[in-house]
Amino acid sequence: MSTLEFFLAGTLSAATIFLLAALGELVAEKSGVLNLGVEGTMAISAAVGFVVTFETGNHLLGFALAGVSGMLLSLVFAVIAISFLANQVASGLAVGILGLGLSALIGRDYESRTIASTDGISIPYLSEIPLIGPVLFQQNIVVYLTFALALVIGFTLTHTRLGLAIRSTGENPHAAQALGFPVFLIRYCAVAFGGLLSGFAGAYASTIYTPLWADGMIAGRGWIAVALVVFGTWKTGRIAFGAMLFGMVSLGELIAQSMGANIPSQLLSSLPYIVTIVVLALISRDTVRMRLHAPFSLGEVFDGSESR
Amino acid sequence: MKSVSKTLASMAVAGLLFNTAVSAEPLEIGLLTPSPIADVGWSKALVDGVEAVKAKYGDDVNVNIIENIQEGPDADRIMNKMVGDGNKFLVLGSFGFMNAGLKLAKRNPDRTFIHASGYKTAKNFSPFTAKYYEGAYLMGMAAAELTKTKKLGVVSAFAIPELISTINGFTLGARSVDPEITVDVIWINSWFDPAKAQDSAKALLAGGADILFSNAQDTPSVVTVGEEGGAYVFNLNGSMKDYAPTKYLGVVKTDWAPFFVASVDAHLAGNFEGQNQWLGMKDDVVVVEDWNSDISEDMMARIKSTEAEIASGAKHVYDGPLVNQAGEEVIAAGQTLEDGAILGMDWHVEGVNSPLPK
Repeated sequence: MSTLEFFLAGTLSAATIFLLAALGELVAEKSGVLNLGVEGTMAISAAVGFVVTFETGNHLLGFALAGVSGMLLSLVFAVIAISFLANQVASGLAVGILGLGLSALIGRDYESRTIASTDGISIPYLSEIPLIGPVLFQQNIVVYLTFALALVIGFTLTHTRLGLAIRSTGENPHAAQALGFPVFLIRYCAVAFGGLLSGFAGAYASTIYTPLWADGMIAGRGWIAVALVVFGTWKTGRIAFGAMLFGMVSLGELIAQSMGANIPSQLLSSLPYIVTIVVLALISRDTVRMRLHAPFSLGEVFDGSESR
Repeated sequence: MKSVSKTLASMAVAGLLFNTAVSAEPLEIGLLTPSPIADVGWSKALVDGVEAVKAKYGDDVNVNIIENIQEGPDADRIMNKMVGDGNKFLVLGSFGFMNAGLKLAKRNPDRTFIHASGYKTAKNFSPFTAKYYEGAYLMGMAAAELTKTKKLGVVSAFAIPELISTINGFTLGARSVDPEITVDVIWINSWFDPAKAQDSAKALLAGGADILFSNAQDTPSVVTVGEEGGAYVFNLNGSMKDYAPTKYLGVVKTDWAPFFVASVDAHLAGNFEGQNQWLGMKDDVVVVEDWNSDISEDMMARIKSTEAEIASGAKHVYDGPLVNQAGEEVIAAGQTLEDGAILGMDWHVEGVNSPLPK
């Protein structure tokens, strides 16, 4: 595999972690709930996914239970933030920290263990094409499913009644409730769905992308996913683009170093974060555009009353 | 291994008991590690060290291990607690425990502290470091024989002297066999990001390297990439042969047991003296083993004789002439780099392609 092939193929693979978690967070935020527990949710699911796959050898089961664990942890957050009307930022952070701690506990006896990685699927003939073959047609199935999921979620949010219900809940829960939408149920489901996808992202990280368990291995990727949603101004296409950009920057840094580029590696290591800040600053200048896409009631507590 | 580790709560109980104990009570030894204790890696090597003390003294010592404590205020608090709980001999397992540990040592002259990777000393406080570069030199010789691309890759944590001198040792060893060999280095600026470590290893392989060195990465991340990618790979501290059954080049192991046992001996005899402990092959602390059987007998013999020369002091890895990356001579033939220059190393030798982050 040449350096260029590795770079392009690795970008898609690295982007998948960010994209899966960001898509989940997008749905939750579209319903008006800001869940800052993504990092912790990914960590706990990475641990669960790893332990299950390690013990059973069944990647599918590992993925499924990782998703369930992510969903359960996000439901803890949902109960606190939606039913008990707690501040979303504080409860999201608290549940995230809980997830990080639990992940260390679950993975305790599995520290530094590895599992066999799964091979990518090779699509006949297409994967033989030079450059394009290895990049586009030899990826893990999860990579394809994730990008397909981005399309499905984008379509659902903008073109279906379900999407309308989620969006109106996020824009104005009072009005949505007056219209007869079950606001609490929608928010619960959206947060649980977000937890499910964060869980898949964690499982992808610990069983496919880096098939080993080490406490702290999510290493800030959950936070990048949260930033990606803002980066993509709550639009799936832009979020997918952002995920690839982040994947590209994180790999490009390593490749630049291996090729002997004379750029300080500390600067390169912080590039993904610098890019986030720059983009946030740029899109924030266009306040109208931000407002157009940011769910209006994002982060606000909704107590079920009919008017605000 | 984990059965010996105790929670803070049970340590508190042990501490209460100890306070009322008579002098025949066992010596309480406390170990604080910065990462979880796994089957391999840095913290495991420290645990093996205190286990050796336990093996020698049996019921005369009690080992209390607190694992996975990150450097910072929390570690300071826990160190205080360990002293309060009656630990008389403390092993502080990370560089960042230095300042708080030193303060504690000065306040508690009857306790003995040994501290990993640091440089400050006190009467009852000894920092200890391994001369990894001695082992890495031998690995370089083996790598030079096995490489086909004449390009070696290093995945490295932080650009600190300890790691830089290890990469330089590796490079010098390789080029002592084949001067055409070059070394690519990727600094990931993290002790702990397995995903980034694996990406880096793959990037090095894609760039043409066919030997990998996992420099201070505590997880088998790089080692498994080596096995899968068909590149020989080695690491530091503890053997990861299980993770690369066919492509494992060997391990530059740290065996802290001789030093830990000697320090406890000295503590019990009342003649412990705090000093900088910089330990290598001569001290049986740096041990190279698990050599891959693909290395030829001729090369193995050459490696063994070099190992004996380094251990006896007849040869030093940093014997001149040494040339830096820019092609300038650092020291001439017949001279040897001083210890201080190695402990503070901030330059790469000729043959390392990657610039050093400043």
